Amino acid sequence: MFWHNFKYTVKTLLGDKMLIFWTFAFPVILGAFFYMAFSDIEDSEKLHVIDIAVVENTGFRESEMWKESLEALSDEASGEQVFCTKYVSEEEAKRLLSEKEIAGYFMLADGEPQVTVASDGINETVLKYVVEEIYQTEEIVRNTAERRIQQGEMPTAEFYEQLSKEVMNLVDSENGGIRDISGANLSYTIIEFYTLIAMTCLYGGILGMVAVNQNLANMSSKGKRVSVSPVGKSRMILSSVLAGYVIQMVGVALLFAFTIFVLHVDYGNHLPLIVLLALCGGLAGLSVGIAIAVLVKSGDNVKTGIVISVTMAGCFLSGMMGITMKYLVDKNIPLLNLLNPANMITDGLYALYYYDTFDRYWQNAASLLVFAFSMILFSVLGLRRQKYDSI
Amino acid sequence: MTVFRAFLKVLNQCRIPIILYTVLLVGFGGFQMQTNESSMGFTASRPEISIINRDENAGITRGLLSYMAENCEIREMKEEELDDALFYRDVSYILYIPENYGKDFLEGRETELEVKSTGDYHSSYAEMLLSRYLKTARAYVKYAEDGEELAAAVSGILEKQVSVEVTSKLDTGNLEKAAFYYNFLNYSLLAGCVYVICLVLSSFREEKIRRRTAVSSMDYRKMNRLLLLSNGLFAFALWLLYVILSFVLVGKVMFTAQGLLYVANSFVFMVCSLAIAFLIGNLVGNKNALNGIVNVVALGSSFLCGAFVPAEWLPDSVLKAAHILPSYWYIQTNEFLKTMEDVSFTSVRPILVNIGVILGFTLIFIVAADIISKKREKFSGR
Repeated sequence: MFWHNFKYTVKTLLGDKMLIFWTFAFPVILGAFFYMAFSDIEDSEKLHVIDIAVVENTGFRESEMWKESLEALSDEASGEQVFCTKYVSEEEAKRLLSEKEIAGYFMLADGEPQVTVASDGINETVLKYVVEEIYQTEEIVRNTAERRIQQGEMPTAEFYEQLSKEVMNLVDSENGGIRDISGANLSYTIIEFYTLIAMTCLYGGILGMVAVNQNLANMSSKGKRVSVSPVGKSRMILSSVLAGYVIQMVGVALLFAFTIFVLHVDYGNHLPLIVLLALCGGLAGLSVGIAIAVLVKSGDNVKTGIVISVTMAGCFLSGMMGITMKYLVDKNIPLLNLLNPANMITDGLYALYYYDTFDRYWQNAASLLVFAFSMILFSVLGLRRQKYDSI
Repeated sequence: MTVFRAFLKVLNQCRIPIILYTVLLVGFGGFQMQTNESSMGFTASRPEISIINRDENAGITRGLLSYMAENCEIREMKEEELDDALFYRDVSYILYIPENYGKDFLEGRETELEVKSTGDYHSSYAEMLLSRYLKTARAYVKYAEDGEELAAAVSGILEKQVSVEVTSKLDTGNLEKAAFYYNFLNYSLLAGCVYVICLVLSSFREEKIRRRTAVSSMDYRKMNRLLLLSNGLFAFALWLLYVILSFVLVGKVMFTAQGLLYVANSFVFMVCSLAIAFLIGNLVGNKNALNGIVNVVALGSSFLCGAFVPAEWLPDSVLKAAHILPSYWYIQTNEFLKTMEDVSFTSVRPILVNIGVILGFTLIFIVAADIISKKREKFSGR
């Protein structure tokens, strides 16, 4: 009887097109959208070579310092190119700026450096900063020269040349004395895919709900027939729920396959642990569906609505519509996310991806199991000894 | 009136999704609104960083700290919270100053600062600031007697600023807010229109209802006209609501010529959404499938055309593909308005082209909807 019911539950669930759309197709479609929208976003946030113009007036032509420094910064071969520089007249520079072809232009007006930009912004800030750096380097040379002369050195041409070379070397040197210790896994868009997995796991709750509803006398005529049949309730419900779980896991596996093989999402090196977390997450989603099926006494549509809203709210709090939300909740209302199954899944995957230690991962996996079993416990308490004299 | 009353009845059924789309719009639109006040002068970008100082706060260390505080937003938080903060871009750069750093630096010993960085432009800029301070300090370390003197010499140099002139007179910050709001409107308006109108059309097309209206005294054509009118009225009301909300949320920049162009652009898009909704309503009969279709259509065109993620950040291939969607042209106009300096015939021309394309799409959708509904009528044996 167990396998008989299992087989037919699988058939009924797979036959429901809406169910299959929401649990199988929708996550895949959403994943494709995420991929298309987010695949370039982190690269766009890097500092790119900035287009600028330099007004080539007599003042600029005579200043070796400015000429050399800007040339060095615009050198494509150096590997540390900051600017792509056009040397133009002042009118041309104004035209380029108004047509937004450059971020700003630099001009030496009576020996004083001046920067003109169209608006605020990071590229404009960098332009201002770099010009200031050259300006300040010039000042350092002058300043050190004074000190040395006070100390008794002779201000010959050779002395100046050597000094400016010394300072320039210092300024152009590599970032000495700074060591970057940030980890390699810093891609935050990956969180979006984690929330997608969480969503798929929780949407599986609809499957659990539909499977249980089939066995409830107050939900369908099939439920009435099942209730009067001489088969133990626990066996029927268990096999129905198992069928729901299996289908749900197929959906999750489909999503994994799609994200890994088609979208090339990098889940890190812990695939078995990720699968384990998805299994726990699926169980948690299923348990929510069962609990709602059993504890909420109303029609199919209302129950589906509740499962969907619980899922979407959970995913929203765990960062699906912008990862800042997850961070804000984690930081300010941690309790909310400790109880949120979507966040347990997202956070577990995040911990696996970002941290070297596994404490946070196991904590999340354990919370998922605790959550799932308490939901199931509530459902069992609600289901047992349910009897109808007439219905 | 009967038709309109029935329309309102169906509308009442879908108030929850409509409220949801509106809340999303206000929530996400408003989320972006909390940025700084606009000013006419140049405001340098300030990267958000955190500093963990294990050295004593004196000499060169103090100089470094105050220089970074001058040019960056310093976030104070517990050390164990920093890794999360870095991942979620709450800070883009973390600087760890080791013990005895100032002393070792002064005595010319090898010193090393540890940093963590997100690798985005804010962190690159923070690193530029840091390395400039270090290089300047290194140039003077030979001449300084003690840490305080060194710090004073370095800050004397770094105080030298270059004057910056800003040419644009635009209120860029607020125009960006408006663009963000109107880009998001793409989702809310499209989803709202498609959801409601499809539900209405499929309700009126239900077998029993259709038969009942067929035998009633109501002229079939008149009913269709009334239906079209009430749907149009609904779309207009929804658009009006969103426009009024934009005036509340975005503020006075909406009263400029650019602001009015945002409104006009969204009106054209509203008409187009109406046509899309009619087309889908004619294609899809199944009420249950509606939710899925709304999500795929509205989310899809919003993601692909840059309603959620700015279009400039999307891969080129996606943007190319997006040309076949009306949302793309709508959003391009919004993006264009963000930096439009003056309103004249030449400057408005690209906008007119975009609007023309949207109207072209609208026409195609209406014709397609017409053909489909005619075919359907024939098959249903009227």
